[in-house]
Amino acid sequence: MSTIMIVEDDPKINQLLQGQLVKYGYETVNVENFEQVLDVFTRANPDLVLLDVNLPKFDGFYWCRQIRLVSNCPILFISARESKMDQVMALENGADDYITKPFDYDVVLAKIRSQLRRAYGIYAAQESERTFEVAGLRLFLERMELTMHGEKVELSKKEALLLEALLNQYPRVVSRERLLEKLWDEQFVDENTLNVYITRVRGKLKELGLDGAIETVRGSGYRLKVTWEDGQ
Amino acid sequence: MRLFLRDQWAFLTMFFIQLFLLILIFALDGYWNPSLISYAVFLCFFFGGCFLAFRYLSNRLVYQRLSAPVRTLEELTLAHGNSPLGRAMDQTFQDQYRLFKEQLHAYETKQRDHTTFIQQWVHQMKTPISVIHLLLQDEDDPRVESVREEVDRIKRGLETVLYSARLDRFEQDFLIEPVSLRRLAQNVVSENKRLFIRNQIYPELAVDEHWVVESDEKWLSFVLNQLLTNAVRYSDKKGSKVTIRSFARGKHVVLEVEDSGIGIPSEDIQRVYQPYFTGENGRKYPESTGMGLYLVKEICGRLSHEVELESKVGVGTKVRIIFFAVVPTLQERKLDES
Repeated sequence: MSTIMIVEDDPKINQLLQGQLVKYGYETVNVENFEQVLDVFTRANPDLVLLDVNLPKFDGFYWCRQIRLVSNCPILFISARESKMDQVMALENGADDYITKPFDYDVVLAKIRSQLRRAYGIYAAQESERTFEVAGLRLFLERMELTMHGEKVELSKKEALLLEALLNQYPRVVSRERLLEKLWDEQFVDENTLNVYITRVRGKLKELGLDGAIETVRGSGYRLKVTWEDGQ
Repeated sequence: MRLFLRDQWAFLTMFFIQLFLLILIFALDGYWNPSLISYAVFLCFFFGGCFLAFRYLSNRLVYQRLSAPVRTLEELTLAHGNSPLGRAMDQTFQDQYRLFKEQLHAYETKQRDHTTFIQQWVHQMKTPISVIHLLLQDEDDPRVESVREEVDRIKRGLETVLYSARLDRFEQDFLIEPVSLRRLAQNVVSENKRLFIRNQIYPELAVDEHWVVESDEKWLSFVLNQLLTNAVRYSDKKGSKVTIRSFARGKHVVLEVEDSGIGIPSEDIQRVYQPYFTGENGRKYPESTGMGLYLVKEICGRLSHEVELESKVGVGTKVRIIFFAVVPTLQERKLDES
């Protein structure tokens, strides 16, 4: 299990980030006294550091240099400053990447995973693999597989993303907008394409013997429905 | 010289009256001796001329400066010669210049403090927005969706404030480097995906992979952001498209954002780049600040790109950015070499 140290002086952001990281199976180290960042670092010896730029007393650049004197672990900056100069400064001071606030959890998690993978090899990434499970239906996000009672189907990336949203929100409804947003990375996705993907995911579920598991909620979105337990 | 003569007209008038009186007194006295009179007249002219020449030469700089238009502030500090008048003018001008500089400096400091304050304030606002943003991320409720929309709107507003405040210090805050138009457009589109989805407008990306231009990525992103926001905001029909395309025009590259929205009335087109100008569309859409296109024009001007706008009411609007500095890509370079 990877340990991540969070150096962020806003208590709420700190708490939210921590919660999210714990949810995805990371261990977190928190800094309370911002004059002793380095001490906390050496004691906890984390695998990765999330570092804010604006900190009381010394700024993040300073602490980044200090950490670099003793360790090579990945350091990710999180900051509200987005000028080119700040990003250059961060990299010059030894950071590995720079994330600007406000950020999405997805982005932070993706960057953390990629840094960990780069620093500690593929093995570390699999250790924190995200899985979602609802009533025996299990989604392995990194492997893009869906399993049910030992049976397994392969998924495409978009199908996996769709299922992630549905399983994560279960038993609530996921709005169409939300799904569109999720699917939309490099290539934009319109309503029709979303319909196509939903149909495909239904097909995949059918391969596992699950019928009608995705319910359409009119005017709002889709919902995962556990239809299979009654029959067991 | 003309100013000098005009300045001396009282003296000249008096000189001629005296001359006339002199001759008149001689004549009335019955002492009419032409050679003596002409000698006296000659003497008067000679000394009068000397006086004028001396006056002119000693104050020449003053007259020259007074009759030439002032072009730079630094002219105020130039010396006006060694005559008492010249020295007095030097003194006055310098005092004025100093006073002026002091006041200007005070305003500059004030302005800079204000800009710094605005920037800091915007950054401070980003923390609560980040918190709200994070809090809302896992929620999925129609009401939360609406809050998210408002948060996006605040974010957009803050961005505009930040960039317009930064515009004053543009010279210290840009970095020209090769920018791939396709990557840039892709990033900006995906930054705005929620805006597109919410308005049910779909982007169409027709930017060729190989176009690379000399620009500042950050500022150019902001420009494209403004253009896309405008395009979405003024697209009336749900399900319509916003097209981002690039093409060559002679040696230059053009990036075009086209919407099929409400368009801009022809009487407003001339004025869209003016700050705070919102025009007829601004009255229909209360969110318009009139700053978007002004900032676009300003920023592009500083990056040496040109902006073109073409619009028809009810048909749509096309905004083009023209890049003069196109970076030959590796591929093309190879083609050239072979």
